[in-house]
Amino acid sequence: MSAIGYGALFLALVASLYSTFAYAFGSKGKNPSLLVSARTGLVLSCVLVTLAVLVLLLALISSNFRIEYVSSYTSLDTSLAYRLSALWAGNEGSLLFWAWLTSIFAAIVIFTRRDKNRELVPYASAVMMFVLAFFLLLLVSVANPFHQLSFTPSDGRGLNPMLENPGMIFHPPALLAGYVGLTVPFAFAIAALWSRKLGNDWLGAVRSWALLAWLLLGVGNIIGAWWAYVELGWGGYWAWDPVENAGLMPWLLVTAFLHSVMIQRRRGMFKVWTMALVILSFDLAIFGTFITRSGVLSSVHSFGLSTMDPFFWVFMVIIFLGSLGFLFSRKAGLKSEADVDKLVSRESSFLLNNILLAGSTLIIFIGTVFPGLSEAFGGVRIEVGQTFFNRVNAPLFLVIILVAGFCTLMGWASDTVKKYLRAMLWPLLITVLLVVILFVLGVRQGYALVAAFICPFVFLAILFKWFAEVRQSRREGAQNILVAGAGLFWKNRPRYGGYLVHLSLVVMAVGVLGSSIYDVQQDVSLKQGESTTLQGYTLVFGGLDVQETPDKQVVSAEVSVYRGQDFIADLKPEKFFHRSFEQPVTEVAIRSTVAEDLYVILAGWDADGTAAFTILVNPLVIWLWIGGVIFLIGGIVAFWPGRPGVPAPKPDSAVAKKDVIVEDEIERQVRRRRRKPGTRK
Amino acid sequence: MRKRRYLVGGIIIILAITYLAYTGFRASAAYYLTVGETVAQASSLNGENLRVNGKIAAGSVVNDISTLTLKFDMTEGEKRLPVVYKGPMPDNFRADTDVVVEGHLDSSGVILADKILTKCPSKYVPQ
Repeated sequence: MSAIGYGALFLALVASLYSTFAYAFGSKGKNPSLLVSARTGLVLSCVLVTLAVLVLLLALISSNFRIEYVSSYTSLDTSLAYRLSALWAGNEGSLLFWAWLTSIFAAIVIFTRRDKNRELVPYASAVMMFVLAFFLLLLVSVANPFHQLSFTPSDGRGLNPMLENPGMIFHPPALLAGYVGLTVPFAFAIAALWSRKLGNDWLGAVRSWALLAWLLLGVGNIIGAWWAYVELGWGGYWAWDPVENAGLMPWLLVTAFLHSVMIQRRRGMFKVWTMALVILSFDLAIFGTFITRSGVLSSVHSFGLSTMDPFFWVFMVIIFLGSLGFLFSRKAGLKSEADVDKLVSRESSFLLNNILLAGSTLIIFIGTVFPGLSEAFGGVRIEVGQTFFNRVNAPLFLVIILVAGFCTLMGWASDTVKKYLRAMLWPLLITVLLVVILFVLGVRQGYALVAAFICPFVFLAILFKWFAEVRQSRREGAQNILVAGAGLFWKNRPRYGGYLVHLSLVVMAVGVLGSSIYDVQQDVSLKQGESTTLQGYTLVFGGLDVQETPDKQVVSAEVSVYRGQDFIADLKPEKFFHRSFEQPVTEVAIRSTVAEDLYVILAGWDADGTAAFTILVNPLVIWLWIGGVIFLIGGIVAFWPGRPGVPAPKPDSAVAKKDVIVEDEIERQVRRRRRKPGTRK
Repeated sequence: MRKRRYLVGGIIIILAITYLAYTGFRASAAYYLTVGETVAQASSLNGENLRVNGKIAAGSVVNDISTLTLKFDMTEGEKRLPVVYKGPMPDNFRADTDVVVEGHLDSSGVILADKILTKCPSKYVPQ
């Protein structure tokens, strides 16, 4: 069985290497028969990797413990869902999953891009096959998932109980698929540089892939944060751990890309920058995979392996120097066609948004690699703590959100400041009123007040703009307002998906700010019957209870929660002692409301029944998860296939040359209707 | 003229980010040392932010639930470093495992810990 899997991987490596070179020479030499065979190689490598994945899945399901990977991550009583997700539980399996996704994405690209960008696809395929070959090389040399033990264990070690959470089913594949999704935009960027077809064609090919990767990375990060919050039991959800940063950095750069790409398509500006963003986000994705799997930086996520280090170093140097060298040598073909001419315009706000996002990424990158750098060059390892990341990023993110609000209100290059101020009036008035009320109610903390201004202002600005557009469309079409709104929404999915995403960021920001500015923690030890009070909650400790289940011992504490005199809930924080794992697992008890979470951790106990608790009150944290759901919905809406309406005008077209560039389908429609008299009833 | 305005704007943003990064760094940068290095340089480390890496010495752990005080020694070979921590004992806190302790060194050579990071070799690979 393992011979089949390993053989498939080995043949896939041969096929992908052949395909890489055949594509490269075939497209340079315009040799159609070579290109056809390259394509066969691509499809074949996809089939072979798929076969290897199926073999591993079959081994996981059928408890083939002879295979080391299977016995490391599953046991006889692992349920089916976790057996399947064991595919990405370990280093070898997750690399195989990575390679599999790369090959599938490459196959999707060649099957769906037959007409459009025909010249670019062979170059892009060569790049994707090269990336695939790298991962297959790892799999057949230092990370073989089919490695066999010299004996067959009677049972496997099973999945670490901390990983037995729905988060395990969604978080790793979402992030991995997001990373892999970045390969496609990268491949098309390199294809454009390679073939010197530096027009906007390559952008059309990558928009949906970049959006998909971005959506998956975003959702993956949010699920990871939620998982840490409910499972790890330290009361937080984000610790600026190197691996978390590795998931966040490419997301920030792709966010910047999704904005700069709009400007490039409409106005032909920021071309080098856009290209650099695509390249760097892929480089960061590879870097992220590397630090997840190497011992270079200490992290809770690390796999603790280092035999792959030299491979990754070589690969990273190749893609980093290769891609940036390419970009530099083709610089002349990427001249900007226009200047940012107005200070108050969407271009300038996108420019600002890009600078802030890139700045934040750079700072996170420096903070992440600083321990390694200071040790390598200074001889002393110096680590930076969460304060570093928070202090820099909190104001940056707030400004980014503020810019998102402003730029929603602005048009392309055309708006007068007066029109803009008029659009801002109502959101501004309401927000100022709200801040005054909060101040009177006793909110004095500087950050909280600034945030209390920025978040509602941006939220309202987007809603008002949305409402104005619906009203406009209704005036033109004279329909029921709901019908008009829904029709407008559906016809302009990318735009309103974007609005939803911006709203979701505000909602998430509320959750993050509330829970980081106003969180309260108490460590307390209680005898049976004793109580403690925190933020108006009274917690009464009713005693400890021990239960034995077939696979674990469960120690739970009975905690009754009162608000004043009123009973509100029974909470049951627990600790699990799994028989197969030495390390106990803390199960926190959380009582969530829209205002705040009460978060109780059973920290320990002694022989006479005195128990130690860590109790936290995290205000507004639920809004982070609600925002996450809105983010997902908005992302899906924006991603929904089949971009309706007319594509953006090419930058060299007559429309784009003029200063008045209509922003989207809606404005174009409105104008068309205006020109035709009699449409209005 | 217009170009210069953008340049000035860009420089202001970069300076602001640099300033924030600098203060954040000053507030949170910590020397990452082993027990041996800490003991050797103890006199010069007074008041510095430290992250010390070592093993939990067998038999040294005293965990007083009623006062929520955790005392233990960290070791590296023959070198020993006492640690006092106010707070509950972390989940995977066992003798002979690696920990990283964040805190300060007091004048008597005891680490006053703000945080204990238990370094499970991996969440992924069960040991």
